[in-house]
Amino acid sequence: MSSLATGRSAKLGAGLVALAIFAVVPSFFNNLSIRADAALAVIFALAILSVVILTGYVGQVSLCQGTFVGISAFATGWLFNSGMNYWIAAVIGVALAFLLGVLVGLPALRLRGILLAIVTVGVALSFDYYFFQDQAFAWFNGGFGGWSVDSATLFGVNFDSISPDGVLHSFWLLLAVFAITAILVVNIHDSGSGRRFRAIRDSELAAATMGVNLTRYKLLGFGLSAMVAGLAGAFYPLVVGRVSAQPFSFFYSLQFAGFAVLMGVRYVPAAALAGIFMSYVPELLINVGRWTGRDIKYDYFNVILGALLVVQIITAPDGVWGDIAKRIGHLQPKRRRVAQPDNVVTT
Amino acid sequence: MSLLKVEHAGIAFGGVRALSDVSLELNRGEILGLIGPNGAGKTTLFNLISGVLVPDRGQILFDDKQTAHLKPHERAQLGIARTFQNLQLWKTMTVLENCMTPQDALRGRNIVADALRLPGAVRAEHEARERGEGILHALDLLEHADELAGDLPVGLQRRVELARALCMRPRLLLLDEPASGLDATETEELAGLLRRIRDRFQVSILLVDHDMSLVMRACHFIYVLDFGEMISAGRPEQVRDDPKVIAAYLGDAEPAAAEREVTSKDKKSPAKPARRAGAAVTPEEVAAAGSTKRREALLEVHNLGAGYGGIQVIRDVKLTVGKGEVVACIGANGAGKTTTLRAISGVIRPTSGKVIFNGIDITRKPAEWIVGRGMLHVPQGRGLFPKLSVEETFRLAAYSGSSSDNYDAAFDAFPVLKERRAQLVGTLSGGQQQMVAMARALLVKPELLLVDEMSQGLAPLVVQQLFEHITLFKDQGIAVLLVEQFVDSALSVADRAYIFEQGTIVREADAAELRRDQAVIAGAYLGTAAEVDGVAAEAPVLHADLLDELTLKLPAEIKRALEERAIKEGKDKDELAMELLAGRIER
Repeated sequence: MSSLATGRSAKLGAGLVALAIFAVVPSFFNNLSIRADAALAVIFALAILSVVILTGYVGQVSLCQGTFVGISAFATGWLFNSGMNYWIAAVIGVALAFLLGVLVGLPALRLRGILLAIVTVGVALSFDYYFFQDQAFAWFNGGFGGWSVDSATLFGVNFDSISPDGVLHSFWLLLAVFAITAILVVNIHDSGSGRRFRAIRDSELAAATMGVNLTRYKLLGFGLSAMVAGLAGAFYPLVVGRVSAQPFSFFYSLQFAGFAVLMGVRYVPAAALAGIFMSYVPELLINVGRWTGRDIKYDYFNVILGALLVVQIITAPDGVWGDIAKRIGHLQPKRRRVAQPDNVVTT
Repeated sequence: MSLLKVEHAGIAFGGVRALSDVSLELNRGEILGLIGPNGAGKTTLFNLISGVLVPDRGQILFDDKQTAHLKPHERAQLGIARTFQNLQLWKTMTVLENCMTPQDALRGRNIVADALRLPGAVRAEHEARERGEGILHALDLLEHADELAGDLPVGLQRRVELARALCMRPRLLLLDEPASGLDATETEELAGLLRRIRDRFQVSILLVDHDMSLVMRACHFIYVLDFGEMISAGRPEQVRDDPKVIAAYLGDAEPAAAEREVTSKDKKSPAKPARRAGAAVTPEEVAAAGSTKRREALLEVHNLGAGYGGIQVIRDVKLTVGKGEVVACIGANGAGKTTTLRAISGVIRPTSGKVIFNGIDITRKPAEWIVGRGMLHVPQGRGLFPKLSVEETFRLAAYSGSSSDNYDAAFDAFPVLKERRAQLVGTLSGGQQQMVAMARALLVKPELLLVDEMSQGLAPLVVQQLFEHITLFKDQGIAVLLVEQFVDSALSVADRAYIFEQGTIVREADAAELRRDQAVIAGAYLGTAAEVDGVAAEAPVLHADLLDELTLKLPAEIKRALEERAIKEGKDKDELAMELLAGRIER
């Protein structure tokens, strides 16, 4: 028991140290772009964390996580522009994402695997091209150009997308939100609720006959996942200053799923890694292009993701982080000591 | 009094009756057996009880309460736990987590409390862990507690499933084929284990197995299913001697079973001459069998051992097949017949021993290479391509075989298929599909044909016709090694037979001789165990001292004894019990 507890606090400590380092680095650069990318990295990490919950824990495939991010971002932008306090608007946005998640989860009670994936593609595409773009929903999506969000304050601290300090504040707040969310998600993973999720992933038949309420836990898994994606969406307008349809397109949903699998869909730290990768690598590519004088496009980023996925599936099927965790695990000695069985029922 | 009552339950899948009018009663504290050949509907009945399937008719009462409207997880909460024939552990979770999950589910713990690690959640976690470890300890699994369930060998996984089920504090434990993959001694140990589990955990057990040796040892009372109907029920020794049960297991030469299958008279008439023809060749078979010794050996198998994922399924198998000879492998399900065929044809890798074919050592050679040497394996389930037409299937076979485009031989042998040459194989009936598989084999022109469970899922009449075609191969000088459930039919065409029991060959015999000696076959299928086992002797007699308990709690054994006496005397069992108690009749 105690060994498990120390293992747990060691992991927690290591994770917090890593986040603290990541928190201070952007403050050394008084540069809007570097700080905005840092904040975006956390937004992506939250979105990918939602894939970890749904696909990694509950075993349900979803290709509409970007839609959950989007519904929350648009709702926040809309309510803010109708005069609501930003933070209250954000909470409502997250709640809406939760509800949409539960709704999308309904087909999952009947479908699984590729069929469920197709249904979520349908959800993603219809939101992408209709609710997020069409003039018929201008009251919600802000019409052409979307909503703009200039600034918000919380306890006297200013958050905006134009001053380096404002962005740095958003980044720190986001990081704190991510850290708390990640801890709660790990707690769920290691508890009875998490075991029920994972039981559904490994064998639905066994889960049902061992007392797991499939309906409740599948819907809960979808709702929880969409809620975490909604957190990413609620902060998006603050960091970028604008909500438009493009960042929540089906294509981003695919990238979230792809990066989650690449880094290790069953692991929370993989979400952080994937967020950083997703935010900084395109920037890096553009800079490489600038230095070498070559015309390097954003598309190359997708080529890299595709190639890495192929390599990863072959060499490290449990993802980059899964592979690392396995190597570390092998270094540690087995802890359990077994008492000699005395009154066992076997012969 | 009874814990579980199944009343006239029936279910059909797309027109096929899987179960019809099945009734069963399980008393508290009883280990009840449910047996039957493959496809009899045992697992279907399990699925009805655990709520995975909903019956079309009839009802299932648990603790005298209706269960029809209850979902699987609600039934689990009532105290019905089960294991699975094809293991359903949560493989990426540790063994301990596997045991904690059912407890979490029954407590209905709150996800918010879990996320925030509130004191209540932490306490529940400790309790689940402690109980899980306790049960793992009791089943001698504690040393594996932190290993992933999927990493364990299959034998241990079966034990983990048992532990997981016990963690639910069940009142009824449904065990689906717990002995599959175990050898004779392990099976014997399992029987003892089940009794100790019943006593220590206070559960009633419903045990399904198609191998009777475990059921004979462990159970007080046995029900027998065949083709979705309850054909017999009784004490182990009664069931074993029941001609209907023997017929169900041996695929019958009994007219009763034939009538059950074939209802219309015109269909029945061609079957009878066929059977007579089968009997008529017996003298020739004797002669053929006599000449076996002089025949040149085509296939020699020496001390073959093989298995799946670390579990040894067959060991020390020795057999020979002469050129042009038909040899049958018979024995109970799980005795290792199919595995032997697979190890010979290279589908799985043998772990020990040697396979020599036509003088060449083919042990551990790739399957497709072995086919090239002239050995063809028609697997269980026929291995056809459902989306190809009959003609395409033959063209493919002719191409890979003799490289000629001539597949008339196939249509000559099976004229029925000629009319259906353009039909997709997947749309043919089971019997016709089997004909296609055999015709295809004929086109490849192998020297040795391995046929696995040709009759699976087919009605006896169709089976009879198919067996006549086996002689086709023999006429062409093709040797055949048959694995078959329908023993009598198999023996009618075979020259020799090997009897498999518990993963090895226990006897080799002349087919015709064996046909006459039904007792040997019955032993192989129904287990010789019960004769030597103590169950029969232990069975309690209705005794005066025990009657005192009747007023309080009626042990299962006594209730059965009472029922038996009631049937014998033609009285109502409750009435009889009252009379006994009142001392009105002789004890």
